[in-house]
Amino acid sequence: MNSKDTKSNTAAASTGNSQQTIGKLSKRKLHALLRQHEKLKDKRHPMFERNRFVKFLMYFMVAYYAGCMILMGVTLPIPMSQAYHGVAGFHVLDGWAFILPIIDFWVRFVVQDTPANQTRPYSLLPISRQFLLRRYMVRAGLSVGNMFWGFFLVPFALMSVLPAMNLGAVVGWLVGWWLIFIMNGYVYLCVRALCTRSMFWIAAPIVVHGTILLASFLPDHNLLDTPFTQFMYAFAKWEWWPFAIVVALAALWFWINVKVQGSIVYDEVGKKEDVVVVKSASQMSFLNRFGIVGEYLKLELKMKMRNRMLKIQFFVLLGCMLLLSGVLYFSSIYDGDFMRSFIVLYDYIVPGMSTLVIIMCHEGNYMDLLMSRRESILDLLTAKYYFYVVLLLLPFLLLIPLTIEGKITIWMNLGYLFFVGGLLYPMMFQMAAYNKETLPLNAKLGSRQGNGAQNMVTIAAMFAPILLERLCVALLGDPWGYVVLIALGTVGFATHRQWLRFTYNRFMQRRYQNMEGFRATRK
Amino acid sequence: MKIKIDNLKKTFGEKVAVDIQQFEINDGQILGLVGNNGAGKSTLFRLILDLIKADTGTITNGGVDVAQTEEWKDWTGAYIDDSFIIDYLTPDEYLQFIARISGISDEQLATQLQKYEHFMAGEITGQNKLIRNLSAGNKQKVGIVAALLLRPQLLILDEPFNFLDPSSQSAIKRLLQDYNRETNATILVSSHNLNHTVDICPRIALLENGRIIRDIDNTDGSAEKELESYFEVD
Repeated sequence: MNSKDTKSNTAAASTGNSQQTIGKLSKRKLHALLRQHEKLKDKRHPMFERNRFVKFLMYFMVAYYAGCMILMGVTLPIPMSQAYHGVAGFHVLDGWAFILPIIDFWVRFVVQDTPANQTRPYSLLPISRQFLLRRYMVRAGLSVGNMFWGFFLVPFALMSVLPAMNLGAVVGWLVGWWLIFIMNGYVYLCVRALCTRSMFWIAAPIVVHGTILLASFLPDHNLLDTPFTQFMYAFAKWEWWPFAIVVALAALWFWINVKVQGSIVYDEVGKKEDVVVVKSASQMSFLNRFGIVGEYLKLELKMKMRNRMLKIQFFVLLGCMLLLSGVLYFSSIYDGDFMRSFIVLYDYIVPGMSTLVIIMCHEGNYMDLLMSRRESILDLLTAKYYFYVVLLLLPFLLLIPLTIEGKITIWMNLGYLFFVGGLLYPMMFQMAAYNKETLPLNAKLGSRQGNGAQNMVTIAAMFAPILLERLCVALLGDPWGYVVLIALGTVGFATHRQWLRFTYNRFMQRRYQNMEGFRATRK
Repeated sequence: MKIKIDNLKKTFGEKVAVDIQQFEINDGQILGLVGNNGAGKSTLFRLILDLIKADTGTITNGGVDVAQTEEWKDWTGAYIDDSFIIDYLTPDEYLQFIARISGISDEQLATQLQKYEHFMAGEITGQNKLIRNLSAGNKQKVGIVAALLLRPQLLILDEPFNFLDPSSQSAIKRLLQDYNRETNATILVSSHNLNHTVDICPRIALLENGRIIRDIDNTDGSAEKELESYFEVD
């Protein structure tokens, strides 16, 4: 290549606007190459390679999740309409239209990576950073993840919008929702990227979402006459202005994102490691009485307290527990049977949900040490189980005031405690034998934790238990349905040494392939 | 502890990483493992520690097949790389953790650490910094001291001289020789540093493409020329 070519390619790489070539490749070829990398990233992920069980699990969970959402979409419109004197269900949902984007926003922290992270591997290559960021931003917008709620909204629209209006309105209403989720995704990407710079940015969505939620609980709040209702109804009527507003906002957030994500990449390249000075009073000597398991308990606590991502995750989960309990205590809007069970159960599930699904992934960083000590994995698993069981006492205590107030029965409170600790946890602990991806310990919030399969298990853990619980209570009533859950949970608690040993044996049988995965993904 | 390797083979795709028909390392021996990059030194250590699966063959450590039981872990200490240290602990916490899960009392730990004070050079214990904030050399020291804490009968160290300053390199050499003399432990050390290897290892195995091509008696310190000739050191 002569010097003229080199100059033109360098210019193309540095600006990346309307050039036909980026570096030595045409844009089309570069797109194809990057697409190939994305496919290979999933295909060659250690969790999937040579692991039919995980593949099956993932597809099963997708089907299960879809089934649950469809079920909710089909069954909710009629009771919602009945609760509001025959007003179409979609109007009721529209009154609460802010709820779905809020949930969607926080779920994205579990499942969605940022463009800044995706472009990092290419940061030293002669490819325009702007080109890469824009590409990943467009892909984030067009991602099927933005149709996450479609499983719920499509049947809901067919059951609710169609009888009240027509098919065109169904399409308009759904397109409106889709655009809102795209915009919501861009807001999330921006906040998450800013969180890598300073954790205080997380306060922004907390304040905004908190204000909206608090405003919606005001006594004179008319659910059926809110700006959200008017806005969503205009989508169904195919009026131009809501589309224009959402598209304009999405474009604005797209532009802000490109700027923010670009500066974050620079920050990462020039970052300095934070030096942590530990106070000497971190002996945790009260755990000494538990012997070796106590030592692993200390390790678990220190892991959660000294690694940025894990610490944030831990406190966010504790915050969620408080929020869920608070919502039930201070408001009467969730006093329906289903919603009350749902919220109480999630109060219990939250502490272990997103952490147990990636069990052992952080230990992958020092797995060679653990594997060179006799039965240390068994001791570690035992300590982890005790840690998460003790953590369950927190929602139990938080729900006691509700029990006293008569909003929930003591049987329900105990039923969920035993159900989660004795049944759900043993199931989630099985992931210890299958996880083989090392996750960075001290990653910033911008780093994604977990892969597709793990995310699916997380989502399943959110939705599967409610069905079993509903089945028990529907068949046996209250309190006998909960007594059954307590009995089943007690068996899980009583046999924890056996099933932990079983999990450990399974882990040891798979140790070579797991170790290979941990090594391959260690950074 | 006696190590016996029998018909051991490990391949990664087409590449043969380790291929050793028969090899024995006797009680109390210090064996140096040398070879160019990719010769199979670390892979051999990982096979001995049962961290990777052999395609064929067995390794016995003190008469125990390492792939069949975990018994051998009670008398084996090792430091291969960062994956043997927990970097969100301080060095004191980490060493205490290793001691306690190995049944070593706090008093025994303090006595043990006194022996390694010279090697640690006042930069490891008593620090309130996390291991992740230490220099590469000090991390290496933490890992080596932790491996020695158990007073293992088999000690495996992969490239122990890496990242260490000259004083620490000299200290670790003396430390390993003293440890071997005191405990009659078997010590396996891999290194690219021929001088250090020749200084402390009475026996040196030269690896090439996974095979032990020379088993050199270095009791009289005469291996240096042979090794320099092989590695074409001017």
